[in-house]
Amino acid sequence: MYETIGIWVAALFTLAIYSFLYKENPLYRLAEHLVVGTSLGYSMVISWQRMIYPRLVLPLSRGEDWLLIIPAVLGLMYVTRFFPKIAWMSRYPIAFLLGTGMGVAFPYDMQALVLRQTQATLIPIYTPGAPWHEILGSIVIVFGTLAALIYFFFSKPHKGLFFGTGSKVGIWIIMIGFGATFGFTVMGRISLLIGRVQFLLSDWLHLIH
Amino acid sequence: MIALVGGVIMIIQYFVPHRISQDVFNYYTSWGPIVATFALILGVGSVTRVHMYKIRMKSTNWAYSLAVILPMFLMPVFALLPGSLLGGTDGPGFFDFMYSRVQIPIQATMFSMLAFYIASAAFRAFRAKSLLATVLLVAAVFVMLAQVPIGDLAGRWLPNTGQWILRFPNLAAKRAIELGVGFGMLATSLKIIFGVERGWLGGAGE
Amino acid sequence: MNFWEKMLNIDRRWIYLAIAIIVIVPFFARMGLPVVPTREVESIYNLVDSLGPEDAIFVGWDFDPGTEAENQPMGVAVLRHAFSRHVPVFITAYYPLGQALAQQAVGGIFDTRVPGNYAFVPWTEWESMRAAGFAGRDSLETAWTAAGHALPEGARGWVFEGVDYAFLGYQPSFYLVILGMGTSIASQYPTDTNGNPVPEMPILQAHKTLRDVDLAVTLAGSTTCMTWVIYGTSRVGLRVAFGVTAVMATDYFPYIQSGQIVGMMGGLRGAAEYEVLETQGGYTDVTGKAYRGMDVQSLAHIAIILMVVLGNIAFFAGGFNKKTALKARR
Repeated sequence: MYETIGIWVAALFTLAIYSFLYKENPLYRLAEHLVVGTSLGYSMVISWQRMIYPRLVLPLSRGEDWLLIIPAVLGLMYVTRFFPKIAWMSRYPIAFLLGTGMGVAFPYDMQALVLRQTQATLIPIYTPGAPWHEILGSIVIVFGTLAALIYFFFSKPHKGLFFGTGSKVGIWIIMIGFGATFGFTVMGRISLLIGRVQFLLSDWLHLIH
Repeated sequence: MIALVGGVIMIIQYFVPHRISQDVFNYYTSWGPIVATFALILGVGSVTRVHMYKIRMKSTNWAYSLAVILPMFLMPVFALLPGSLLGGTDGPGFFDFMYSRVQIPIQATMFSMLAFYIASAAFRAFRAKSLLATVLLVAAVFVMLAQVPIGDLAGRWLPNTGQWILRFPNLAAKRAIELGVGFGMLATSLKIIFGVERGWLGGAGE
Repeated sequence: MNFWEKMLNIDRRWIYLAIAIIVIVPFFARMGLPVVPTREVESIYNLVDSLGPEDAIFVGWDFDPGTEAENQPMGVAVLRHAFSRHVPVFITAYYPLGQALAQQAVGGIFDTRVPGNYAFVPWTEWESMRAAGFAGRDSLETAWTAAGHALPEGARGWVFEGVDYAFLGYQPSFYLVILGMGTSIASQYPTDTNGNPVPEMPILQAHKTLRDVDLAVTLAGSTTCMTWVIYGTSRVGLRVAFGVTAVMATDYFPYIQSGQIVGMMGGLRGAAEYEVLETQGGYTDVTGKAYRGMDVQSLAHIAIILMVVLGNIAFFAGGFNKKTALKARR
């Protein structure tokens, strides 16, 4: 019974959203608003269950770790945002998280996003025994990346052999990259629709198994 | 100031693996998520303020604001109710019902509508107006055919070409973009730590 | 208004209807076209396939309901593979609703009314055996069945909470959680989502930090997956595999080539490839939802390509590339 009601409710909301494709209507708007409220309500419950209770309230009530008062006070400062006179206090938790977050991230970002990526571009073009398309691929990785970087480098005019030709090759590489992304985007969007159609035809209508 | 001190301490602790720096780091990883959780109060507070105002003023479509406020504050109540309220003796409760039968289907369906929009855009907007636009479209068509089983019917050359595009030219383009993003992130980190960039303050208390 | 102009100005709702038909009809006429796995997916599968009860993996439900259709089948496929090889699994979530989606996924796998699923033994139910002393998974299973517990018909095996699986769930600021787990997993998750004490679990005692973990599979619909690479791989050398939506998949090929990630399942196709490998490996009898969606995916791609071609024919044949702008009408 519970399952049947649930599937019907889910199916009706699914159709309510799709009704927007024909025309904007009250049912669609209701669903659109419900999602905001439910999502925040759910987040409140989960944040309490997973974080505030086990990691803050419980250790404090047992007297295990009084230092936890510090993050609690810092966190509560967010609330001051709603009182204009003391709203400046809400900057402290933001500054704490953002400043430390950026500090923590800096070396790791440098390592993961810049150093390792640069290193992986500096590869041997020719490997004995490799098939021709792999060798061609290595050439594309080394020179294609360089060319695409030249295209994004706007401090010098794109003229001459290095900057001119480089940026021309670069834009071709970038367009192929965007083409691949477009192809994958189409694939992804269709997959999302397939997921909902599978739900309607299988779980709701039992037309397919 | 807090951002500066916090940021610099965290950079230093990475380079100085001493016991004290490790202790500071452990406290930080334990406290940080606690502080961050409280940010939810901002979200709930702002949404409540906006929608309560609409309800009080009886502004256009105010009734929909009830559809935001009611579930938001009822969800914690539902979480406290016994699980057996709907269905059998040990069936999931109304709280589970709300997220699994209302929230998840609505959100999933909203995203799936993009399939219709991209189809419409494919017909109306993607034009091979120039050589470069044609390159983009041809690459897209290759990749689209290579990614589905029907592409195999034309022979292995088609999926192989599609994979080659993904693994090499696509990789080169994305790496150049990601390197740009990487440098951008590093610059932004430093700007925030040293107070050059202050947009994140959002004007609070100014 | 000439023919081409009329064609380009067609009411978009006709296009929507066409897509709806293309996505619905093929479900009733199964073609069963073969899906050939790529090396990006094979490398994840092979790694999980090389693990056993003494190892452990993380599966991060790092997406929200918007991309459920693509990410959920990946998670289900990896979990099934791990459960059948008795590879201990930790489940985490980057978003609150990720936890809800993970709950749905495991709920489906533990539903023994459906053949091919796994019988779940909650932490509290095998307490008496724990009190007698835990001496490895095999002896636990022997003791459990000796106590009169029979595997439901059609089920593939037992999953003991705290040994085969720990549902750690959601925590905010997940980058800090990953960094913290580099020192101690229990410090970030004192309890699991069912309120059980994580530090007491055998899975935790054998794998105290991320350094003791063999692989993290992150299922993501946004750049959240990079958090595992930036903080997990860089700090403790954690091996990471991606299960990302198709929209993002092309962005991560550089990280495969650089060796920063083990492999990648890209979109529903990636999930379908994993399902195919799993069926070939004998871990499931039938392929899952993703594989079944592939026929539809094939036809929909052909349809979209035809739409691009038709749109371009109308555009150039109508001469709109040279003359006045197209008169727009809804």
